[in-house]
Amino acid sequence: MRYICTCCGYSYDSDKGDEMNHVLPGIDFEDLPEGWVCPLCYAERDQFDCLD
Amino acid sequence: MKGSVSSLYQSVELHQEIPPLLIGERCNPNGSKAFRESLLAEDWDACLKVALDQEARGAQVLDLCVAYAGRDEAADMVQLTQLFSGSCRAPLMFDSTSPETLEKVLPLYPGRAIINSINLEDGGDNLDRICRLAKKYGAGVVALTINSEGMALTSEKKLAVAREIYDLAVNKHQLRPHDILFDLLTFTVGSGDETMRDAAIETLEAIKLVKQEMPGVGFTLGISNISFGLRPAARKVLNSIFLHEAVEVGLNTAIVDAAKVLPYATIAEEDRNMCIDLLFNRNPDALMNFIDHFEQAKEEDGDEDTETLLPEELLHQKVLNGDKDGLEDLLTTLRGRWRPLDIINNLLVPAMREVGELFGRGDLLLPFVLQSAETMKKSVVLLEPYMEKLADEGQTSVLLATVAGDVHDIGKNLVDIILSNNGYKVHNIGIKVAAEEIIARAKELDVDVIGLSGLLVKSALLMKDNLGQFQAAGLSQPILLGGAALTTKFVAVDCAPHFDKPVVYCADAFAGLKAIREFEAGKLLSTHWEEGTVSRNRPGPQQEILDRSFNPPDVPFLGRKVEKNIDAESLFAYLNQAALFRGRWGYRRGKMSKEEYEELHAKTVLPLYQRLKEQSLNEGWLQPQVTYGYFDCVSHGDTVKVHSDSGEKVFSFPRQSNTPGLCIADYLRNKEEGGDKVGFFVVTLGQELAEQTKVLYESDHYHDYLMLHGLGVELTDALAEYWHEKMRIEMGIQEERGDMDAYVAQGYQGSRYGFGYPSCPDLGAHEPLFELLQPDEIGISLTESFEMVPEMSTSAIVIHHPQAKYFAV
Repeated sequence: MRYICTCCGYSYDSDKGDEMNHVLPGIDFEDLPEGWVCPLCYAERDQFDCLD
Repeated sequence: MKGSVSSLYQSVELHQEIPPLLIGERCNPNGSKAFRESLLAEDWDACLKVALDQEARGAQVLDLCVAYAGRDEAADMVQLTQLFSGSCRAPLMFDSTSPETLEKVLPLYPGRAIINSINLEDGGDNLDRICRLAKKYGAGVVALTINSEGMALTSEKKLAVAREIYDLAVNKHQLRPHDILFDLLTFTVGSGDETMRDAAIETLEAIKLVKQEMPGVGFTLGISNISFGLRPAARKVLNSIFLHEAVEVGLNTAIVDAAKVLPYATIAEEDRNMCIDLLFNRNPDALMNFIDHFEQAKEEDGDEDTETLLPEELLHQKVLNGDKDGLEDLLTTLRGRWRPLDIINNLLVPAMREVGELFGRGDLLLPFVLQSAETMKKSVVLLEPYMEKLADEGQTSVLLATVAGDVHDIGKNLVDIILSNNGYKVHNIGIKVAAEEIIARAKELDVDVIGLSGLLVKSALLMKDNLGQFQAAGLSQPILLGGAALTTKFVAVDCAPHFDKPVVYCADAFAGLKAIREFEAGKLLSTHWEEGTVSRNRPGPQQEILDRSFNPPDVPFLGRKVEKNIDAESLFAYLNQAALFRGRWGYRRGKMSKEEYEELHAKTVLPLYQRLKEQSLNEGWLQPQVTYGYFDCVSHGDTVKVHSDSGEKVFSFPRQSNTPGLCIADYLRNKEEGGDKVGFFVVTLGQELAEQTKVLYESDHYHDYLMLHGLGVELTDALAEYWHEKMRIEMGIQEERGDMDAYVAQGYQGSRYGFGYPSCPDLGAHEPLFELLQPDEIGISLTESFEMVPEMSTSAIVIHHPQAKYFAV
């Protein structure tokens, strides 16, 4: 599942993870650690919108 | 003695042995679509059919209303009275408050009619005229308990107004008590409005009181008002139970859709109890329970219900749907029934409250909220000429300002839109407002609450300082703070201790609305922060060893250049659509399915985007201009020394306090390494777009205001993206145009760091930047906080180092 940041357009793809936040591939968006923010613009996760 | 009325054919007693006497409500252009269309088409036989249908379904008296904007009420009333009086067995009730119309139609009627209605809204002039007509032609009258203060809400007030009317009608005009039908007014118990929870109790109690004090008088009620706002199937049950209860206390006639009255005995006991709990306010959750209970109720005649919407319900729907069509006619009708202020307070404000709740639950998107607010605003503008004065006594008032040095007003204006269209008095005193002025205006206007806004990091710090000044000046209003750079923690820990009264962080306009409601309820508290709450992650590498072996790029020139000849249309290819549509515009998918969102995207979002794109291009609102340049430089610690014809300019950059401890200066070579090349740019879309957004805001086009503003912000970023690409190509670190999807995630060599953004939050760097690039030539100036004007401008330092990526200090 991919989620897009409505502030900057970055998309989190659980298949790819998020290297900038040290998140390994395979982690669902819902399971991201507390305090996780957009790696590009630092928006909080409630600013994300589901793409798929 | 019993009162009775009659048609050409029969006499009907107002006090039936088995009450109530049913008065058919559908011969009314505002109550029945079929009747309205027939009336507008002057298809009189079709109008008659609506009357005869009601008779067939049990109506014993027929209400006849023809008041409709653009029609001649008296002529239509005469026409239909002549037709109905020969064809209908049921006596007529002339539903008009116009003495002129009544004067024409009463002499024509071959029976004893009822006049609907008299009231004391104008102090009694119309009542005198109509009572004289009633006496002269022997008609009964319906009397509404409305006086110059508005509609009577409590049983005491209803009784007092009824007493006053009784005195005039009976003692002055010699009408007989049994010729009067008091309509003690029904208000919905279905809106969730806390102050209206006892609406049914007050009405029922008033019937008892009036009956006791004024023996012989009769009563009538517009029964369906009790359930306004609820689902049709649930309404039918609630209306029937309310009618039953009202008859129990003495109601003898009721204005209803006769076909929709359910016999009491046929209603299941569980349904009855739900209705009784709600009507008699027997528990705090009665409304929610009622709604849940009737959730599954089957709609038997949904189509018919939508066509018989009351004008009150129609207005409610129009606000919810953001539909401004036909408001003039609708409000003209409503003004015949309600005072303008009551339309605002009892219909429009509750509708906007529902809009806010829908938004809060994620069931309504921001653009639609703004369309609802436009409908509200237009309604108020249409009503204002009919209001004696803007009644702002007792209305909570709010002062709004963007703090000194900050020109951003979209956030503040959204708060203004939401608050003022929820019935609050807003004093929006503009942008760049110094603390001294805020203090003076707050005292002068005697406001209840102050709201401060500001986008910049510097603005957040300034808010904190302002609070100290407010404290010293003795301000006693709670302060609401909003803005992109604020956090719950900053407001709670850094701001709130500087001020005695509540200091509250509001993340968006609706949080502001919530805070004002809490203030009114005496429950507003300062924002609270608990230690131990997980703090935000800090993305980026834990360790970064920067490659020092790279060479400076070949730059096409040294110094600055200005480019005014940029094709505005080409910028749209660089626009970040996700950020525009879902972020700036608020068209988020949220709870929608993928298919629903795709439909919204195709049918609403893309056409809107096309419209604004074409309009901006055709009207010349976009004037993209750039000043940029390349310079020799050396990095030295946290600073970058830039060589130019006008001398050396020094840029100081902040360094991350945590690992890996990055600083923008690290990406450039120092003196020992041989120095480096650095780029800078300042871009703007020009002043015209700002002017156009201002026009939209000031003309209450809230939706388009937010949309055009958002488009401008994202197009400014598109221009920066476009120019950064051009500079990379000029420097030879990129060959040709790339892919926007990759650009979003910095899929290119190097980086542009915007001043005022996380890698370099301090706008003070604009001072040396402006000396280097002289953007005043393209119309850009700086505020005292070093913010660029016009708003649709942005700046950056351009770094070529392959490892340069975004980070936050």
